[in-house]
Amino acid sequence: MHPLRSYQLLVTWQALRKKNYLPLMMAVQTLFSLGIVLGYPLLFPTLDKTSIYLIATGAPAISMISVGLVGLPQTVGQERTEGSLAYMRSLPVPRLAYLLADLTVWLAIVIPGVVLGVVVGAWRFGLDLQVSPLVVPAVLMVAVTSACIGYAIASVLPYMLTVIITQAMVVFVFMFSPLTFLPDKLPAWLEAIHRILPVQAMGEVTRGTLAANQFGLPMGAFLTLAIWCVLGFGVTYVSMTRRA
Amino acid sequence: MLLEIEELTKVYRTGTRANDGVNLQVAEGEVFGLLGHNGAGKTTLVNQVVGLLRPTFGSIRIDGRDMVANPGLARQLCSFQAQAQVPIDGLTPRQAIDLLGQLRGASRSDVRAGRDRLVEALDLGEWLDTDAARLSGGVKRLVAFAMAAVAPGRLVMLDEPTNDVDPVRRRMLWRQVRHLADHGAAVLLVTHNVIEAERSVDRLAILDEGRVIAEGSPAELKARLGAALRLELVLDSEATALPVSPFGMSAVQVGNRLMVGVPIEGAGEAVSWAESLQSSHAVDEFTLGPATLEDVYVALVEGLDGPDQLEEVLDASAA
Repeated sequence: MHPLRSYQLLVTWQALRKKNYLPLMMAVQTLFSLGIVLGYPLLFPTLDKTSIYLIATGAPAISMISVGLVGLPQTVGQERTEGSLAYMRSLPVPRLAYLLADLTVWLAIVIPGVVLGVVVGAWRFGLDLQVSPLVVPAVLMVAVTSACIGYAIASVLPYMLTVIITQAMVVFVFMFSPLTFLPDKLPAWLEAIHRILPVQAMGEVTRGTLAANQFGLPMGAFLTLAIWCVLGFGVTYVSMTRRA
Repeated sequence: MLLEIEELTKVYRTGTRANDGVNLQVAEGEVFGLLGHNGAGKTTLVNQVVGLLRPTFGSIRIDGRDMVANPGLARQLCSFQAQAQVPIDGLTPRQAIDLLGQLRGASRSDVRAGRDRLVEALDLGEWLDTDAARLSGGVKRLVAFAMAAVAPGRLVMLDEPTNDVDPVRRRMLWRQVRHLADHGAAVLLVTHNVIEAERSVDRLAILDEGRVIAEGSPAELKARLGAALRLELVLDSEATALPVSPFGMSAVQVGNRLMVGVPIEGAGEAVSWAESLQSSHAVDEFTLGPATLEDVYVALVEGLDGPDQLEEVLDASAA
């Protein structure tokens, strides 16, 4: 069978499996994006223009990272524990097709919230967003990279450890990552760490492509992200094909 | 032989030797049973055949081709019903069976025909369009079987297919297992249900601590026991001493039951002996019947294990 046909059938399967929760998950993701955009100004009533742009364009990145690094690994970890991942791995389809199908469904969950979050943010604050066509590869790369890292964590670690680590990552991403603020607000050592980790790069490519007029488009961030994307995908693919 | 397994050994990283030099052959058109208690190494074996685990040593060939080197091909050639429930919550049985048939490369019309036949044969019609999340465990397992059988590979491996299935549909399922073999598939059936296996398999192997301790047809294995009959005594709770069999054949105690092997010519003597035990209140009741595969199984495994596991085996087969 053609790998593309396998991919189509697997997308159908995975989408149907999540169908009961899909609308709810999409709604939660959308609320999540909106919550950041509409909630931050309540916390900080006097925000300067740059901060408002940072929040409006950082919210979609946070939303994508939270699905990829938390929702996905916890689901995959559970599938590993209950044996359903092993069943899917026993099917006569290329493992790559399975992995891509799963990623497709996760993207479908996260993207509507991202789009709506940006639109509502721009409307609420009257922002003049100069959206670059590069936003499409940027958003895809952020979503796929976080999903791949999440997948890799769930594929390698035991379930409980996956849950604990992903929860710790949420705190790190929300509070100590330069997504809704610029990295110079961080202590120097944390700033240095963020130059290697993918989170800052995710924020930079998202805001750089959504508000090209406000923030530059750092090509270095694309490169960092590409490296993490390949790394995460590689670890996941190897763990999917590996026979223990 | 379609499936040829030689010297298959699997040692996990923890040091557990789950399979230890296993040799098996399964022919096309044959239903081959793999019996053993929990932890005997049955699932480890099938997981190696389907390419989920890599053998530590030994070879697996299907139709002469090396499956250890070609796990992708193994997945093409094998249909597999895993022991765990299939991940189909959110799908209806119709969708799940059709998807699997199409993923196996069958045409839409063949898949539809195969699905309709299986749904009727397994009496699944009333649930055909119900979300699997609302199905009972037994019905889900039948759906999982139909998924494995709708466009079967040349080797069909079924890991505990009758778990949770009601007695009536179990019979339907066994007929479909036979149907697969009659249409040319080699069927490798993993079960701990000895009684059902006796009626359903052509040949079987008993696995214990990763090794094959006996192999043959049910009749051949029963002949090994030597006793054509079994006398089952239910011991009185007040009885202090175990009755000693006058036949010098195997006797196995499980809980308050004592199973005694009896030669065919000893039937009359066995009944008189049991009646005398009953009148002296040593036993509450007794039954004399033909020896079963379960007796062979218990006798074989008993030589290797303690009574705790025997009870588990008998509880499982009585369930």
